[in-house]
Amino acid sequence: MVEEKIVCIGCPLGCRTTLRINEQHEVVEITGYKCKEGRQYVLEEYRNPVRILTSTILTEKSGRPLLPVRTNRPILKSKLKEAALTLARVKARPPVKVGQVILPNLLNTGADIIATDDLFD
Amino acid sequence: MAQMETEVLIIGGGVLGAAVARELSRYKGDVILVEKEADFGWGSTKTNMCIVCQGGDTLEFRPEYHRSKLIWDSMPLMEPLCQELDVVFKKVGELALIRTNEELGKFQKLKSRAEKIGIKTHEFINQETLRRMEPHVTREAIGALHDPNIAVVDPVRLTIGLMENAVQNGVKVMMETEVLRISREANQFEVETNRGSVKCRFIVNAAGILVDKIARLVNSDDFVLYPIRGYVGILDKNLGGFVKHEIHMRPDAPGQMNILTPSVHGNLFFGTTMQPALRGDCSVTGRIAEIGLQNVRKILPDLSEKDIIHSFAGFLMFRNWEVGWHECVVQASQKVPRFISICIGYPGVSAAPAAAREVTELLRREGLKLETDERFSPFRKAPPVFNELPEEQQKELIAKDSRYGHVVCRCETVSEGEIIEAIRHGATTLDGIKFRTRAGMGRCQGGFCTPRVVKILARELGLSEEKITKKGRESRLLLYKSKELLEAQI
Amino acid sequence: MKLSDIDVAVIGSGPAGMAAAIRAKEEGAEHVLILERQEQLGGLLHQCVHNGFGLFYFEQDLTGPEYGHRFAEKVKDLGIQVLLETMVTQISPDRQVTAVNNREGVLRLKPKSIVLAMGCRERSRGQLNVPGTRPAGIFTAGTAQRFVNVEGWIPGKKVVILGSGDIGMIMARRLTLEGVEVKAVVEILPYIGGLTRNEVQCLHDFHIPLLLEHTVTQIHGQTRLEAVTIAKVNKDKKPVNGTEQMTECDTLLLSVGLIPENELSRMAGVALDPLTGGPVVNQWRETTVSGIFAGGNVVHVHDLVDNVSWEAEIAGAWAAKFARKEEMEKEKKILKPGRNIRYIVPQSISAQHDVTLYARVKDMEENVTLKVGDIFSESLRVVKPGEMLKIDLSHSQLRQLKDDAVELSIEGAKRRQNG
Repeated sequence: MVEEKIVCIGCPLGCRTTLRINEQHEVVEITGYKCKEGRQYVLEEYRNPVRILTSTILTEKSGRPLLPVRTNRPILKSKLKEAALTLARVKARPPVKVGQVILPNLLNTGADIIATDDLFD
Repeated sequence: MAQMETEVLIIGGGVLGAAVARELSRYKGDVILVEKEADFGWGSTKTNMCIVCQGGDTLEFRPEYHRSKLIWDSMPLMEPLCQELDVVFKKVGELALIRTNEELGKFQKLKSRAEKIGIKTHEFINQETLRRMEPHVTREAIGALHDPNIAVVDPVRLTIGLMENAVQNGVKVMMETEVLRISREANQFEVETNRGSVKCRFIVNAAGILVDKIARLVNSDDFVLYPIRGYVGILDKNLGGFVKHEIHMRPDAPGQMNILTPSVHGNLFFGTTMQPALRGDCSVTGRIAEIGLQNVRKILPDLSEKDIIHSFAGFLMFRNWEVGWHECVVQASQKVPRFISICIGYPGVSAAPAAAREVTELLRREGLKLETDERFSPFRKAPPVFNELPEEQQKELIAKDSRYGHVVCRCETVSEGEIIEAIRHGATTLDGIKFRTRAGMGRCQGGFCTPRVVKILARELGLSEEKITKKGRESRLLLYKSKELLEAQI
Repeated sequence: MKLSDIDVAVIGSGPAGMAAAIRAKEEGAEHVLILERQEQLGGLLHQCVHNGFGLFYFEQDLTGPEYGHRFAEKVKDLGIQVLLETMVTQISPDRQVTAVNNREGVLRLKPKSIVLAMGCRERSRGQLNVPGTRPAGIFTAGTAQRFVNVEGWIPGKKVVILGSGDIGMIMARRLTLEGVEVKAVVEILPYIGGLTRNEVQCLHDFHIPLLLEHTVTQIHGQTRLEAVTIAKVNKDKKPVNGTEQMTECDTLLLSVGLIPENELSRMAGVALDPLTGGPVVNQWRETTVSGIFAGGNVVHVHDLVDNVSWEAEIAGAWAAKFARKEEMEKEKKILKPGRNIRYIVPQSISAQHDVTLYARVKDMEENVTLKVGDIFSESLRVVKPGEMLKIDLSHSQLRQLKDDAVELSIEGAKRRQNG
């Protein structure tokens, strides 16, 4: 039996919950929540902890060294660091428009890396 | 490594070294000044409280005290000097607060003794007049001694003014140059620095807190110096109008001074707590900061911690701790010919003009030929300060160079044009820009302008931004390029 | 370029300035001018590459630049005049604006109304009086954010962050994703200064230690930062002897609070509220100087950018109305901060119209009741200084007010246990 602690971010209370997980990776018990939405959030967070990745990439435009980017949908939080490493090697070449796909299907997550700002010449 | 030769070598580009350099530049003969930091005045000078001729000195003037005499002799020289150098000299007047009848008695004694030797600088004012002059001052004061002639300057700007005039008149300067060894030959010294060696006949040792260390390099330890650390705080500019005069209070305990003064730039400065400390340890502890605030509240009770935008500690080198305030070092070495040391613990700025003349005289006695140089010009023009100019001149300046229209520092309204001018005049670091233009000295303490100033420095100096430092040597600001750390992990 | 007959001049083009300008134009002001000191519209939004913007305004989770882009496009579409790289240096009480740029030189403008939208700045080390030496390597979190997200530089590779404000926590994550070791976030209070969401997604996600009830007591290093001393603090926020530990680092980020930037407001003679640091405003966001309005972080520090824009829209709308000499409600009820309320904005309201009040508490409390005089009461599970309260009051509720002052307070509290 393993214990995992998750803080609920559903409301400012920020309940600190504890989940007990068995060997089959099933959630056996949740304690510490104060509402059913919180319980739901925490369960979902345990099963599928996903995050939007936001970062920057280098550009080929002098005078504007960076372009801000993001994933267009959340990816597993365990992939965030590897994703950041991948982005280190990506360069944006102008012109780029907000929303443009820079790198499709990042690390096979199904999420694309898109530009969050314009980059014109 | 360079090999240079000169007549006089000045070690130290603080206010005293600079004053000597400027004085010597009146005469023919080569002078080199070496300074170990990236800009002038970064030792004790920049932590000075800017006050010229602090009243305690005139009231406690004793002609037999060397330091007293230097200040007294400097008093008529300072304002004309500032005019020649285009350095702001602001008369604020001074109030020595009187809280008790006992204090009143003490002041009366000092005043009458001073008057007996011809010093009539102060007048008593009563509580009502004090309230009118300074409505925010503590209600505990029953009166004050007023000297309307006391002024304030910016000590670093004065130092830079002195140096620029000296350089105009032929003095050579080496920055970021530290003296490592001095060897004596028959009629000269050979001074080894980190940038090469300098052969010279005369040395003026104006090395501030390292004056005795430098003297020891030639085995001339005729004096012992005690480092005393003072704490200075800078208050928000909004309070600048709260106090018009330099105000001080007699210390409640030994080692405490309590001074509050407007600066030339509109801030309020306060200085409190002096204590012996490890030489060069400019760290400010929480306790000192607390005591400092407590002390200055005795003068201005409405102050709160929020009003302090910056604080720092600075060193004063005292000669005789037992005798206290009254001794200083301005002397030719007893053991080593042609080696003059100068160190005035307090106040270095006020005593500088007369001290420089005295050093020149000492050099003459040691054998330096003083032949007036007809080409000497005492006038130096300071770079324009955009936000102090009338609108017409601001428009002219922008028309001449549009970069004066690009304001970089919001808090102090400093333009790109001024920053470029400061770089042209020798600034190579963030602090150099700060002291010369005030960019970064305002309320946000560089929060907004730092990235922009770094860019301008890099561009004008032809360096990559990561080479730009806060204050020279290894104080780089930006250690890595974007993605560089990630690349190292791949 | 026409710089006369300006109906509304907006100072700043961040999420407040742009929203105010757009709303002013939509409200019918013909000539709306934005004065922006940076090189592009958006203010600080460009350096906020993280998401969390627009969750309520656009019902989407956007990044700062994306949020700014939406507004910037609208500014362009509506034909709002923009002066970039233009610094406003003075505003007089009779609404004359002096500005400087490198094209027109010194500008003297006389708009019919002004919206102050200058945002806020960070508290610096000097104001904090952190003891120790003065080496390079100490930055406020926002300045570091500018370097990391716009200029392309990483200040150092071993970072300690003092303060758990949102910007500090966001930078903890940002730096980690740039390969930096963030050794700790140090917070003097027993709870974080920012949103719980950031504690989870910036600190927990990356196993960055959060040291509550701790502070930095000493800075070490002559030329570049080498280490900081961190100590535990007692209930009076004073360091506890014997708990000091030195942590090696080359960078210290300060995230210890934001202050509205009100130098220009002061020059204009606008009365400031010492509780917020910003101008005293009524519900139309008019300051104490007629025709000068204010909205966004310049009035009080918000935590959601959405509220910044909504608030600035009120200022923009009424600035436009003022410009065409529309009558404004003069009736005033003063809002007073009661128990556990740090501040309320607006500071005065008319009882004739619906209004949204914003407030912050002083201390965290659980299971409380928020009360507005006798006319409103709401049970809240928790109140925290880092999470702003928003209270909607209708004019029918407000009509019940009898006195000229009404108090906002937090009642019936239970102190939170550490957990």
